[in-house]
Amino acid sequence: MTRTETSGIAIRRRRRPATPYVLLIPAVAVLLVGLGYPVYWQVITSLQEFGMMQQFGAPPAFVGLDNYARILADDRLVPVVVRSLAFCLVNAFLTVGIGLGLAMLMRSVLGWVRIVMQVVLLLAWATPMVAAVTVFRWLFDYRTGVVNWLLVQLGFDQADGFAWLAQPLTFFTVATFVIVWMSVPFVAMSIYAGLTQVSEEVLEAARLDGANGTQILWRILLPLVKPVLAIVLLLQIIWDLRVFAQIRLLQDGGAPISETNLLGNFIYELGIGSQDFSGAAAVSIFVLLLTVALSAPYVRSLMKEDAA
Amino acid sequence: MKRTRSIATGVATSITLALALAACGSADDGGSDDGAAGGTPEAADITLWLNGADTPEELRTYLVDTFAEENPGSTLTIEEQDWEDVVTKLTTALPDAQNTPDVVEIGNTQAATFTYAGAFAEISPELYEELGGDALLQSFVEAGAIDDTKYALPYYFGSRYMFYRADAWKKAGVEVPTTLAEFGDAVKELRTDKQSGFALGGQDWRNGISWVFANDGELAVKDGEEWTSTLSDPNTVKGLEQWQDVYATASNLPATHTDEAYWEYLNDPEDGGAPEGATIMAPSWARWSLGDLTKNDAGDEVRDGMADAKKFDIFALPGVDGGVAPVFAGGSNLAVSAKSQHPELAENLLRIIYSDDYQTMLAKNGLGPANTEFNSVMATDKFGETAVAAAEASKLTPAAPGWAAVEGAKVYEELFQKIAEGGDVTALAAEYDEKLTPMLNGQAG
Amino acid sequence: MSAVTEAPATEVRAPVVAPAPARRRPRAGKILLSVLGLAMSLVWVFPVYWMVLSAVTPNARLRSETPSFLPVHFTLGNFSSVLSDSGFVGALKMSLMITVVTIVIVLAFAFLAALAISRWRFRGRTSFVLAVLFIQMLPAEGLFIAQYKMLSSWGETAPVLGLNSVLGVSLLYAAMLVPFTIWMLRGFVAGVPAELEEAAMVDGLSRTRAFLRITFPLLAPGLVASGVYAFLQAWNEFTTALVVLPAESRQTLPVWLRSFLSASANRGIDWAEVMAASTLIAVPVIVFFLFVQGRMTSGLVAGAVKG
Repeated sequence: MTRTETSGIAIRRRRRPATPYVLLIPAVAVLLVGLGYPVYWQVITSLQEFGMMQQFGAPPAFVGLDNYARILADDRLVPVVVRSLAFCLVNAFLTVGIGLGLAMLMRSVLGWVRIVMQVVLLLAWATPMVAAVTVFRWLFDYRTGVVNWLLVQLGFDQADGFAWLAQPLTFFTVATFVIVWMSVPFVAMSIYAGLTQVSEEVLEAARLDGANGTQILWRILLPLVKPVLAIVLLLQIIWDLRVFAQIRLLQDGGAPISETNLLGNFIYELGIGSQDFSGAAAVSIFVLLLTVALSAPYVRSLMKEDAA
Repeated sequence: MKRTRSIATGVATSITLALALAACGSADDGGSDDGAAGGTPEAADITLWLNGADTPEELRTYLVDTFAEENPGSTLTIEEQDWEDVVTKLTTALPDAQNTPDVVEIGNTQAATFTYAGAFAEISPELYEELGGDALLQSFVEAGAIDDTKYALPYYFGSRYMFYRADAWKKAGVEVPTTLAEFGDAVKELRTDKQSGFALGGQDWRNGISWVFANDGELAVKDGEEWTSTLSDPNTVKGLEQWQDVYATASNLPATHTDEAYWEYLNDPEDGGAPEGATIMAPSWARWSLGDLTKNDAGDEVRDGMADAKKFDIFALPGVDGGVAPVFAGGSNLAVSAKSQHPELAENLLRIIYSDDYQTMLAKNGLGPANTEFNSVMATDKFGETAVAAAEASKLTPAAPGWAAVEGAKVYEELFQKIAEGGDVTALAAEYDEKLTPMLNGQAG
Repeated sequence: MSAVTEAPATEVRAPVVAPAPARRRPRAGKILLSVLGLAMSLVWVFPVYWMVLSAVTPNARLRSETPSFLPVHFTLGNFSSVLSDSGFVGALKMSLMITVVTIVIVLAFAFLAALAISRWRFRGRTSFVLAVLFIQMLPAEGLFIAQYKMLSSWGETAPVLGLNSVLGVSLLYAAMLVPFTIWMLRGFVAGVPAELEEAAMVDGLSRTRAFLRITFPLLAPGLVASGVYAFLQAWNEFTTALVVLPAESRQTLPVWLRSFLSASANRGIDWAEVMAASTLIAVPVIVFFLFVQGRMTSGLVAGAVKG
């Protein structure tokens, strides 16, 4: 027993070891059980006419790719896609940038300050999403919001009664605040966890060789956390492309819906909102393909690095 | 291995289930309504879904106890659903014969969508007569009917009031108006840079459509099988323009404001000074958010908008030629799930709900009773009288199959915001008619 | 905690390597950075503070035009009325059970898979990695109807997996979380060179003991990070829980919170209660975090680096 496993490690490129397959079984099983049928349903539904009538028992008709044609011809789709991409990229890079900054900062502050920072990040992380969005809506409320109040105190009189959620641009500014606020803790903690893996000896050796702080940062720390950074960024991009509930809750504060919808909201609006389940399924598949296509170059470079 | 097999069966069962549902769905429209002529139904536990906390505890207990009493061996379980998610939950649970609730409450504007989808069991003409017949609030009955066949009946209604600062109106020397035009002039006169004469949000179409209804306008009409959005109808345009004028001349609120938390404008600010609004239009429960802070017996800080008529008072929105304007009524309907395993017990529950006792209890608890004969129970003070006056004139949104979709996509919010921003009403009406007509018809077919 | 291990090391070496001024400069920098760190903390904690502040303010006093930054109208009334709501304890139990089951499944299964893909090159590895990545890109907003149908049909044969069951919803969560967790752990497993283990085995440790003594402690931060992530997702998830746990007695905390957020024809939203309920939901998470934080990240990492 021990012997086979040892050889599994020692000769890693040996042909067809059984162990990795055995190790994958539980994960694959849980994916098939939990997602198999829902994904299958999604694909089938996207090829059918499936609305409220069908949900309540009318036999759905097979319509081929009609739903896709209908969705792609819908003049709401392109603006939503463009908006989602822009929003996703801005948020992902902001989140990872700020998260990296905070992780670095945590390395270099006094011990108790680091604990304060960690606790604060955990508090933000622990806040239920609904509560977070509600609080931000209050903070940016045009009449009773602290932000406008502060701006007026600082002398920006035009901020008095400024409705942040009214225009798409300021709406997305607030949305960005919420999302960055909520996602940074995870990024900062992950990068920080990665940074703690950099052994003190390596840094010590570098210092002995006369490297200064900046050099240590760029030459040692960043390259070492690069894998974590790359994954975290990729995940943020994937997740920020799927932002949904935060936008929905902010829209309840009175934003122009059709000008602030992101892909997730568009799918929700079609499915639950308009009971056009086949249209929603088609958009879902479209989003999946789009994400795959967009992340392909990035994934390829990740894979290449991984293989090296 | 075991796991893989269970997926396979899982998928297989769901497919067979879907087919089975499909099969009985089409067969089931015809019959099964000629009910229990004789004999008692088999004892069982049935489920009633009620939304939010609107139905007070006392009424729930009454339903559970009375049901158990009148149906020996059977019990009633009441489950509370949230208003925000009721469409999601009904969409998934109602088609599932194994898990469907037997009787459900549904928002009056959502009733049509589910009725058209075949989610509800038909209420036979005999049962309809027994439950109150034409005495039931007709605008709600229509929301849950396809032509003459009834599926969902009214449960209760809530009215909209004009709450106003009697002190501010008096100070400005403005009288309570008797026509809609007078109302417009009054709130215009009350408006200053610091105070909205009428605190009205630009996206607030639920209040806004009162102006359309008051001018004999309609949002949409049914012609044969098809619904057509009628925003461009001259009466509708007239109403929308009148509303646009009221918003522009009397309200300081942003065009993006919804009908949320209007009472904040009417109450005295925390740090002294004058309120930011002189009038608001809001559902009855706003009463408990209005007025000065006082301590109740338990020592909690509470408000009551009807405590001091010199400061806070109410009236019903006047009509174009006086009287009461038709305003939008909130409220809900009740229906029996088409997939209910115990339709006879479900109908017995309806009999309890539409009984004189229960209707009286609704009215006493400030919920507009389904049976209009019990309105008098409510009209014992000015608050109740105004509610009844507003309800009798009330009107509902079109009972079109796609109405829930229109609300879900917030199309009217968008339209009213654009009107509030000073858009050309005729052009906007034409643009949105085009957008709304297909939505209203859902994806019929 | 690692600050403690760091500091003496610098002190010992400092006199040898650098003259005194060089030692003072990083100190001044450190204080400056600490001030910056505190400022960031203040910004980040403010919304949380605002939530708690609103939770101890009577609803009628909420949202006044001049914000007050201190609890001048302090009350615990919101908490007591939220707690007197019969649903809280049941929802708390439900949430805890679902979260624990989900974390156990996710961490165990994903860890094994991460081990497989980072320690072995085998046929199908790349496709598996890609599949795992792409699964996450499927929007969840359209899945719930299928999820309901699936659980409803399972429930006919095996009620433990059906609607309203802890295991059923945990499986759905696990399927959504396993891909991410594999990705996350894969980086950490790859970061621990297999040579370390091999060296330990050369020193006479068995394969298992080498793994437990050398590799596992180094993986702890990764396991904690992904465990924390799984915890939060399972704890905060809303739509799936709403749909596949239809019975009122089986609702989870976020669904319970939602009941405070719904206005209707006869009732307005009591925002103070919403904030009190939100605070209550956050408490178990904070407790869990503090526990995990103190126990694992710093402790084990410091230990691993030192030993």
